[in-house]
Order: sequence, then structure tokens, then C-alpha cells
Amino acid sequence: MKEAFITRENLLKLIGRWAKDHRVYVPVTFDIMNDEETPDYALVEDEVPDSLELSGAALAHTPKSFVFYPREVVANYPSSDAEADVEAPPTVVVGPRGCDVRGLAKFDKVYWSTKHFTEEYDDPFIIEKRTNTYIVSVDCSASKETCFCTKVGGKPWATEGFDLNLSPVEGGCVLTIGSDRGDGLMSGNDDLTTEVRRDQVEERERRRNSVTEAIDRRNAEFFDAIPGPYEELDLEGSEGAWAYVTQNCVACSACNRACPTCTCFLLVDQRAKGGYERSRNWDTCLSIGFARVGGGANARGALHERLQNRLRCKFEYSRDRYGLVTCTGCGRCIDVCMGKIDMREVIRHVLTEKATA
Amino acid sequence: MKNLYRPIESVIEDIKQETRNITTYRFRPKEPITFEAGQFVELTVPGVGEAPFTPSSNPNVTDTMEITIMRVGSVTEALAKLKVGDVVGIRGPYGNGYDLSEFEGREILIVGGGVGLAPLRSLILALFDDINRYKKVSIRYGARTPGDIVYKDLLPEWAKMPRTEVLQTIDEPHPEWSGTVGVVTVLIDELPLLTTVDIEVPFDPETAIACVCGPPIMLKFVNMALLGKGFRPENIYHSMERNMSCGLGKCGHCMLGEYYVCKDGPVMTAAQIEKFEDPF
Repeated sequence: MKEAFITRENLLKLIGRWAKDHRVYVPVTFDIMNDEETPDYALVEDEVPDSLELSGAALAHTPKSFVFYPREVVANYPSSDAEADVEAPPTVVVGPRGCDVRGLAKFDKVYWSTKHFTEEYDDPFIIEKRTNTYIVSVDCSASKETCFCTKVGGKPWATEGFDLNLSPVEGGCVLTIGSDRGDGLMSGNDDLTTEVRRDQVEERERRRNSVTEAIDRRNAEFFDAIPGPYEELDLEGSEGAWAYVTQNCVACSACNRACPTCTCFLLVDQRAKGGYERSRNWDTCLSIGFARVGGGANARGALHERLQNRLRCKFEYSRDRYGLVTCTGCGRCIDVCMGKIDMREVIRHVLTEKATA
Repeated sequence: MKNLYRPIESVIEDIKQETRNITTYRFRPKEPITFEAGQFVELTVPGVGEAPFTPSSNPNVTDTMEITIMRVGSVTEALAKLKVGDVVGIRGPYGNGYDLSEFEGREILIVGGGVGLAPLRSLILALFDDINRYKKVSIRYGARTPGDIVYKDLLPEWAKMPRTEVLQTIDEPHPEWSGTVGVVTVLIDELPLLTTVDIEVPFDPETAIACVCGPPIMLKFVNMALLGKGFRPENIYHSMERNMSCGLGKCGHCMLGEYYVCKDGPVMTAAQIEKFEDPF
């Protein structure tokens, strides 16, 4: 892979050049409640914000919203036009972490047949946006209490699936080109980069190792108790074990929305100009009506059945269907849970109960 | 790229009341929609939404499509207000149908409960089109009361078809009913098997096919009854009832473990689902 060094100043210039013919989103710090500064994505408008923040762990939001809008009109009817009307301007997203990039792979599996599984059912809306969205990932330079990517096959940096990757080091970033598309983003911008020095590569490795070690250390107590590799988890536990871990769940579905691999949606029809429109909206398997059919029968009427389904979907069903464990260890479901449900504890409890049953 | 979510305009051509809450509609789609018996479509009531239905008409008739629908939710309630000439939308077909080439030369048992006979009707009509390819078609149908029986005028006609028999039951005794009483499994208890002597065409449980459709609780007990009779799990086809919302294996509503019922079903064999504790 091609690598180069770019100073922070030149990175801002580079982003400015991209912004001329792309929508560019970058992580910046927002001053929100309680003076707490939280980085989140912001659209680059006239100027590249100086508050660009590349340090820290994964952002609060996943980049899935850039390819899978929370709400999007997918059809207007009546219509005899068989072609999809898709708007997907070229977009550059700076800031996704390793966990986020791995998360996008689930969207490819579900929505993009030529690449993966779903045969004839290519989704034009997702594919166009995926094709026109450049991923500029960033190494994690810190980890949250809730991060556990290294325990589910990930790294605190992107190993594949990115177009460019930025590894913050002293004075700037080591920039790695991960795809032909990424190469395209760098063409004509050679004046902004210099050859990467050996000590800069070493610094990157040092930083990566230190974050990895921190995540491993913090999660040892959860995962050392689990027999076998994470790819072989079997979370089919007793009703009692699942009911116990679900006690504090209020089915708010924040975990579904925060998750980088929750791909489910609901189609909603309503009146619109000239007829009707059908929109696709994020939907959540923790909602009571998710599996309910006409007449009221519900395959997952109990909340503990729904929480169980969510976790087993991540670890087992996606693995069996797509060959992909879709928990990326980003920890966001733990961060956002108002009932303080920690999926690491859930897994440990269910497996411990099972072992002692 | 083709838009998967666009409904194809379809005109309501005929409406026939089957029971107090079940109606058969005939639609004429503006663009042809062909399907195999067992596949389903998404029916749109404009501005209200979509719901999945398996057509009940002959799959070999391609210019129109009939669907028998029970009024149970928001889409079907809204549909009930529409009249002949009104326009709805149809997307599809989706999922797997019955592989009729597998049925050749075998006894075929069709077990329906209530409105569950509707999806089976398209299978029955497809079988009738080539009835000599099959050893026997035995239709066993249960309804709650005589008033809940669908296709009242068709059932006696079906019984006249060669190699075909129609047996019926209702759940509880009723003054207007002189036939068999009991849930539909009573019609399986008396199934003439190969071991039964003096039966012209007995069922060979090793090879006989069963196609089952009805409410989840019925599927569960019919499944147990058929396995008890020695039917092989790979020969028992269930119409799985799940919330198939997009029909494309994406939205997640119909997931059953790693299966999307809309893609891997809606017709699934007992062998496919036997690993689940209660798949119905």
C-alpha cells in the first residue's frame, strides 16, 4: 500500500480541495451539554474548520447514515418509471474508525448483490451512495471504556475497506492509500505530501499497539471467561438467563440506531404531491411490532426474545448467512443504553448460566 | 438501476365475498406479473401501505391475479373499502414457490386451515393443470364454523377432479354441519397409509408430499401429526407466516434465525426449520 506523510496544515488544504467538488464531512468538536466536547461529523462549507479533531476513539455517530439515510423516499407512485430516482452526490467522509469501516461491509452484504449475497435484489439507493462515498478512515488514538473491537476480530484502525487512512502522528498524519478510488482522491495533490519517514511509521505502530493493549486489558475479564473463539459463540440461552439480562431494557432501540451494522428498515406510505410516496425508515428489532403480523401474532412478543434476537443476529445469524460476525466491538450500544445494559456482560451471563445449567 | 420498491398499478376487476371477513379480489396489473405457486407478492393500498399475500389464482393465468384476503389489519381494512375499478399496487413475486417437478409421481396431501386454503388454491390449480403427473391429490380442509369456509362453490368441483379427494372438517359441532367435526388434525389421524389394506391409493409416508398452510398453531400440530405418520421432514412444506415487509431479504422483519422467510420461504420444509424450538 502506498503511504505518505501529510502535515495538519496541508491536510486542511487537501480537504478544502476535495470540498470544491465533493460533499465533505469531517469530525469536529462541538461544545454541547455540560461543556463536554464531543466530536461529530460536520459538513465542510466555505472553510475547513480548524476544530477538525482526529484524536480520540470512535465518534458518537456511525457513518452508516451517509449510505443508509434515517429516512429516504424510495418510490413515488403511481408511476410507470421502472428506474430508481437516486440522488447520490460524490461525498468524502473523514473520520470513520476501524469498527465503522467493518460495519459498512454488512451493508454491502445485504444491499449489493453483485458483490455479495442477495442475487437479483440490488438496492439502487444504497449502492449509488456507497459507490459515490469515499471513506477516509482514522486510527483510534484512544479507546472508550466500552470499546472491545480487538475481541471480535477488529483493530483500532481500519485494515481494509477504506479509500484513504489517516494515522495521526507528531505534526500530522501518515496517509495510506487503500484503493484505486483513494488514489484518485490524491491525484494532483502530490504537493501536499512528503515521503513518510521510518520514525513516523514506527510512531504509528507504537500508538496502534498502545491502544490495542489498552482495549485488550480492559476486556480481559469479559472475554477470557468465554470458551472458544468469538466466531463460534452460541447464545441460545435459557429463557431465565435472557429475561434476567433484559430487566433494565425499555425497548428504546437506541442500540439499534447507534449500531454500525443494524441495517433493518420499515417502508412507510403516505400521500404526497401528485400521488403517494414510499419512504424507507430505520427500523429496530427491539420494537414490539417488528415481527408482528396482520391479526396480531408476534414471533417475538417478549422483550427478552427481541434482545436475544438482536445479539444473536450480530454473532450467529449474520455469520451463518453472510459469513460475517457483525458486532464490530464499537461499544456504542453500551454507550447509549439508558438501562446500562452492557452486551459483554450479557454474553458472559448467558454463557455462564448455560455452562452451569 | 431498477427500482425494487415501486408498486405496479393494478386495477380491481372483481370482488367476491367468501365469508364475513374473507374476500377474493381479481386484479389486472398494468405490467405483467408472473408467479409460481407458493410465491408471494406485496400488495399496496395507496397511501396506506403494503402487506404480503400469496396469490390464490392459477399461476398459469398471467394477465390477472386473484388474491383471497382476510380483513385483519390496517392494509386489509383499507382494501375492504375499495371498489371494482379502483387501483392498487403490486410488487413481486418474491420468495420460493413449490418445486412441482419434485412432486411428480407422488401422493400429495394438502392441508389447509381457514383462510390458509387461499395460498394453497394456486398450488391446487397448478396441480389440476397436469393432474396425471401425480398419483393422488388429497385436499384436507378445516374451518372454524361452516360460515368460515372459503371457496364453498369450488370445493365440490375440485372433488370431481380425477385422482382428487376433498375432505372437510369444522372445529365444533354446528346445526348446519353433518360432516366431520374437530380441528384439521383429525383428518390426518385417519390418513390411509401404505400399511392400511383395501385402500386404492394409500399414502407412502416415505415419499408422499404434504403442503400445509394455516394459522401458526395449526402448522405446529399438523407438523407433529405428519411426522407422527412417518412423513419425512424434507417432504413437508409449510407456508411460514412472518412479517414479510420488503420481500427482498433486506428489511429484517421476517427473519427467522439466519433465514429471511421472504427469500428462503415463504414455503419452507420441516427439515429446514426443525432446528428451531418453535418456528411457527
